[in-house]
Amino acid sequence: MKLRLFHFFIFLAALFFTAEISRAATNDYFTQGVKFSHAGQFPEAATAFAKSARGSPAAGTLVNLGLAEWQRGHAGAAMLAWEQARWIDPFDPRAGANLKFARSVVQVDVAQLKWFEAVSTWLPPDAWVWLAGASLWLTVGALVLPGFFRWRKAGWQQAVGALAFGLFLAALTANVGVVSRTNLGVVLKKDAPLLLTPTSTSETISTLPAGEPARLLRTRGNYFFIRTPVAAGWIDRQQFGLVVGE
Amino acid sequence: MIFKMRRSFHKLFFPLLLAPFLLRAQAPPQLPPGGLMQLQVAQPPVDVSSPVTATAGFDPATVHVGEKTFYRVTVSATESAIQWPEEISAPAELKFNATARGQITQFLGSNFRVFTSFVYEMRPPAAGHFTITNFTVDASGPQVEIPAASLDVVADHATNPPARQLVLETSATNLFLGQPFRVRVLLPVGPDHAIEALREIQLNGDGLMTDKTATHQAIEVVNVNGQLTPAFICELTVTPIAPGPLKFSAQGFTAGREFSGPIIIRGQVTIPGGPAKYVLLVSEPVAVNVRPLPARGELPGFTGTMGKFFFDPPHLSTNRMRVGEPVSLKLVFHGEGDLARFVPPAAPRSRDWQIIADPPPATSFTLIPQSDAATNTPAIPFSCFDPVTGKFANLTIPPLPVTVVGEGLPVQLAALDDETKSEAPPKLSGLAPAPGKTVSSLKPLQLRGWFVCVQLLPVFGLVVLWQWDRRRRFLEVHPEIVRRLQARRALRRVKRQLQKAFAAGDATAFGQLAVDALCIAVAPHYSANPLALVCGDVLAQLASADQNSQTGETIRKIFAAADARFALAPPAQADLLALKSDVEAVLLKLEEKL
Repeated sequence: MKLRLFHFFIFLAALFFTAEISRAATNDYFTQGVKFSHAGQFPEAATAFAKSARGSPAAGTLVNLGLAEWQRGHAGAAMLAWEQARWIDPFDPRAGANLKFARSVVQVDVAQLKWFEAVSTWLPPDAWVWLAGASLWLTVGALVLPGFFRWRKAGWQQAVGALAFGLFLAALTANVGVVSRTNLGVVLKKDAPLLLTPTSTSETISTLPAGEPARLLRTRGNYFFIRTPVAAGWIDRQQFGLVVGE
Repeated sequence: MIFKMRRSFHKLFFPLLLAPFLLRAQAPPQLPPGGLMQLQVAQPPVDVSSPVTATAGFDPATVHVGEKTFYRVTVSATESAIQWPEEISAPAELKFNATARGQITQFLGSNFRVFTSFVYEMRPPAAGHFTITNFTVDASGPQVEIPAASLDVVADHATNPPARQLVLETSATNLFLGQPFRVRVLLPVGPDHAIEALREIQLNGDGLMTDKTATHQAIEVVNVNGQLTPAFICELTVTPIAPGPLKFSAQGFTAGREFSGPIIIRGQVTIPGGPAKYVLLVSEPVAVNVRPLPARGELPGFTGTMGKFFFDPPHLSTNRMRVGEPVSLKLVFHGEGDLARFVPPAAPRSRDWQIIADPPPATSFTLIPQSDAATNTPAIPFSCFDPVTGKFANLTIPPLPVTVVGEGLPVQLAALDDETKSEAPPKLSGLAPAPGKTVSSLKPLQLRGWFVCVQLLPVFGLVVLWQWDRRRRFLEVHPEIVRRLQARRALRRVKRQLQKAFAAGDATAFGQLAVDALCIAVAPHYSANPLALVCGDVLAQLASADQNSQTGETIRKIFAAADARFALAPPAQADLLALKSDVEAVLLKLEEKL
């Protein structure tokens, strides 16, 4: 029994140290990226920030990644990184300001959001789902637990239940918005061709500027069918980046 | 009418007359310095005015039966001018075998004179005196008479000097297609032991390509037919260009002391003076076997290079560049093969790079990045064929890591109007000092499987709670179940204490605990507190047979002993421990009824 307990603690310690090592490596990449950025070595900085973001996506890391990509001349990749930073932290002022600046430079519009998608931007996506879960079970608890525990029924219990249920309904719509926003993305390459069919020999409908927001509708092979504010068509997978990644 | 014609003439031809003034001057040809000098110095003319003469003879003129001799005709005219007959009338015993023909130019101080020689090899089968009569050939106008020549074939075995011949040696006889090999043409000293140069050397045979730019000349003592003799040696590089067995021979004119180009002399030699005597000599044919390259195992980037090669690590002028900035990739090859015939790798095609091969013999490349997406130089496929192992060797130039920097975008915008001038112009933010808010993944929790599982936990808790409530309500309706459960639990506890008391030899505690256990075991049947029960209550729960048997007696003894503690002088109860097995049996019976 004691031996099993010892093994369990060893396992927990290994997990803890692995997590710590991973976090330390991520921080190392972030520090490297900052150094490269200060030295004007933006390709190296972008690589370091990208590695850091791959290990553990963070709003600050993605803001810096966007800055490095912008300095390299990759407007699409920069705007995607800032969109991802805002996805993680909608209150990050740097990401919002940089996106606004970039849109004014490359002359692209903001993505058109539906009302429930706009609501979902008020809080981080994960907050909405926890809020929905908590409010649902609070509603259930307020209704069921007094009966189980033979508490005297009180008005405040019903009030809490009703309030929680209302919150649940609001969070539910926001969650739908979050899921719907997972199809949003950004055109990565400059003058990316929008194709009529998902083939390499397809006729080009139009070309899209880097940073153009679009909504993914369906996928076929190496092509995405996307809808931009002005047109819909197929685009090469390499030339379009989803905010939440693939 | 005439007036109209004149106008038409003017319209048509006047522009033509002006055309020469509109033409650009032709660029002068780029000539090397030596070539220009050659053009400026008057070259001696070729002598075409002198009468064409001809000589003919056998070499040697006296041979044994079956011995080799050469019938040689020399005409002072160009080879293309002579209409040489297909067949020459000769005695039936003289059969012409291999033939050779060649042309040489002699410089006579004020002009050049051309000589053409025709050589026939023959081996007379019978003794006798044979004569090839005189005959005429057309030399582009004048008829030239070829004089008669006689040959004496003797049957005796007297030693005569053999016909003078060239010796042909090859560095290899079993070759692969395209594999260069060295050929040595040797001219041993003649009867007067004087070294002579060879001119107009050529190899006769199909399927071979001779590289005359890689010719080496030397005079050395060599072993010819087991005899050490000085010889003029000319070494050529030859490449087979057709597969299969190939047979070839060499021919050349003796040229006295007319050595051309650098020559290495080893040992003491005698070089004759006086004018050169141009004699066309031939060699015995040599056979080589040429195998085609193996069809299987050919590697990409094969340019025809043969040999064993390797290369130093490629050197890039810089590993950091901007889009469109050319960089140089230097490659240095070493090897055991013929580097003169080394064909460097061809420039491959790449989407991200423009690749320009530097002109041979340089093996470097100029690379121009087309996009900053390039993180490595392109791999340059290259391979060679090693004739020793008979396999292709991979010499692909590996990609080198590079950083290509693209053109940046503006980081600040100027204010456009007066209203915005008062505000700070929009610009990019600074770097975030810390990673900030971190998530495990950009994929939202709603779309992750484990989160759905987490949502099932409250459901599970709710189900447990509901089951607990149901059970509680059931037990409220059936309190006897609760009492029995409690009795069983209490009985287990007391039985453990009973066991400890027995182990300790404490008879008093054993007796009291036994009574407690018996009362607990029957208490649910009375819905009473165990402390309120007496011996009779316990006995009543037994069958009537048991009440009067050993079981009943045991219960009475136990209770009697427990009651005796209230006596003024409690008796010794050591014998109670002996009832342990009986007590356990009674408790077992009572427990079964719970």
